[in-house]
Amino acid sequence: MKSFETYHPIVLFVYFVSVIGITMFFMHPIYVSLSFLAAVLMNSILFGAHFWKRSWVYVLLFLGMAIINPLISHNGEMVLFYVNHNAVTVEAIAYGMAIALMLLAVLLWFKVYNDTMTSDKFIYLFGRIVPVFALVISITLRLVPLFKRQIKQITQAQKTIGMDYAVGNIWHRIKSIVHIFSILLTWALENTIETADAMKARGYGLPKRTTFSLFRFELRDTIVLSLIGILTIGTVVGSFIGNTTFYFYPTFSPIEFNWYNVLFYIIYTMLLLLPVVIELKERWQWRSLQSKI
Amino acid sequence: MQELKTNPLRNIVASIIVFVIIPIVLYIGIAFLGDRKFYFISVTIALLACVPFFISLEQKRTQTREILLIAVMSALSVAGRLLFYLVAAFKPVAAITIISGIYLGAEAGFLTGALSALVSNIYFGQGPWTPFQMFMWGIIGFIAGLLAKTGIMEKKTALILYGVFAGILFSFGMDVWGVMSLTGIFTWEAYTAALVTAIPFTITYAVSNVIFLLLLAKPIGEKLERIKKKYGLME
Repeated sequence: MKSFETYHPIVLFVYFVSVIGITMFFMHPIYVSLSFLAAVLMNSILFGAHFWKRSWVYVLLFLGMAIINPLISHNGEMVLFYVNHNAVTVEAIAYGMAIALMLLAVLLWFKVYNDTMTSDKFIYLFGRIVPVFALVISITLRLVPLFKRQIKQITQAQKTIGMDYAVGNIWHRIKSIVHIFSILLTWALENTIETADAMKARGYGLPKRTTFSLFRFELRDTIVLSLIGILTIGTVVGSFIGNTTFYFYPTFSPIEFNWYNVLFYIIYTMLLLLPVVIELKERWQWRSLQSKI
Repeated sequence: MQELKTNPLRNIVASIIVFVIIPIVLYIGIAFLGDRKFYFISVTIALLACVPFFISLEQKRTQTREILLIAVMSALSVAGRLLFYLVAAFKPVAAITIISGIYLGAEAGFLTGALSALVSNIYFGQGPWTPFQMFMWGIIGFIAGLLAKTGIMEKKTALILYGVFAGILFSFGMDVWGVMSLTGIFTWEAYTAALVTAIPFTITYAVSNVIFLLLLAKPIGEKLERIKKKYGLME
């Protein structure tokens, strides 16, 4: 998704909220399957062979989650057999599989999200609405590697005075670790105050401060954002009409393929495949530009 | 211990959430989402519950030192979660959140817990569980802060009991999410089944909380007290 990634963070965020939200909350078999297939496609484009090599994990997850439901739920009309006088029904199995597929789809979409919405984009996005919140997240993210480095330094210094946590009996080791931690903490807290004062000295919190960012909202962002908006609204309208309604219990409600049902399926598919389409378009453009030279 | 100041904006937003937004969420969920309603409602409410705390954080914008203290405590627990990532459920996050709640106040406790969940999931992967973890760890820190105001948390037995309680609370809370994501609906049978299968995790949560609380409460507490006294923070 090299080209989809380059869009403005707000476009990416709205896209993921829309897709993951719809995936999570509509349990219609067609919608769930479409989302799952799209998520698999996105993951294989993003991670390639690495994704397929690990795909057995998802198959196991799917089977594990699909088995749980028929064991807990005994609703449904089509009884297959009885376990301890409890009916195991086709409906419960199908529901378990649908839920498992939905959870996998959400999991796979979040993998795409984690890869695309890097923390800098997240912080940029929320820095506008909730600046302190974004600031705390960014400071916390920065402190973690800083702590790691400081721990290394403290450990080395402690070694020279015989407080090596890797040697000696268990009590000595624990004592050394607690010692290192205690030094880290003192340093971190004093350092915090210094940072805070430095921030204040540089005018943090004053009005009319500008922030630097590399993200620009361009025409193409407007186009894609409105596309996402239209397709999402289309899907939600479909849901109001009842297109996403599907009952597993007491028995399956029919899946219809009237022209308007199919229209809403197509709208949802378009929403799901938007990043792939953008990617293909960019690649095609690149190739056609090359051939002209 | 610090006094709980009344915060008008936060209170207004909190009451709007409780009396207006949550009923709307319930209505939308029940009216339009069929059997997905439990999932939708619980995720949304877990997120909404965090909003008042983040508003009070926004209002701290000029108190840079307080903000940074919360960031340091969150970073400590994130680093702890990273350090122990190989041992399932054995994490110092809840313990550090509790300590933060005790010494920095209930609000800071909630923020430390919620931020730890959000930031550590940047490393471990975000998912629909993030709002629940944020809320559960947050509320563990919040309750610790409220209890500390009574002075009871200075006793070692209270600390141990609260560590056990926090482990159970976290497990019970996260199982609500687990049941709803696995079976789609909330039934008491499924919930009890989930709680029973999660017993080893619950025990590990509780034990790790107690161990880390006993190890860390005194050193961290003393240093937080010192820094508060030295620079006159959280007053």
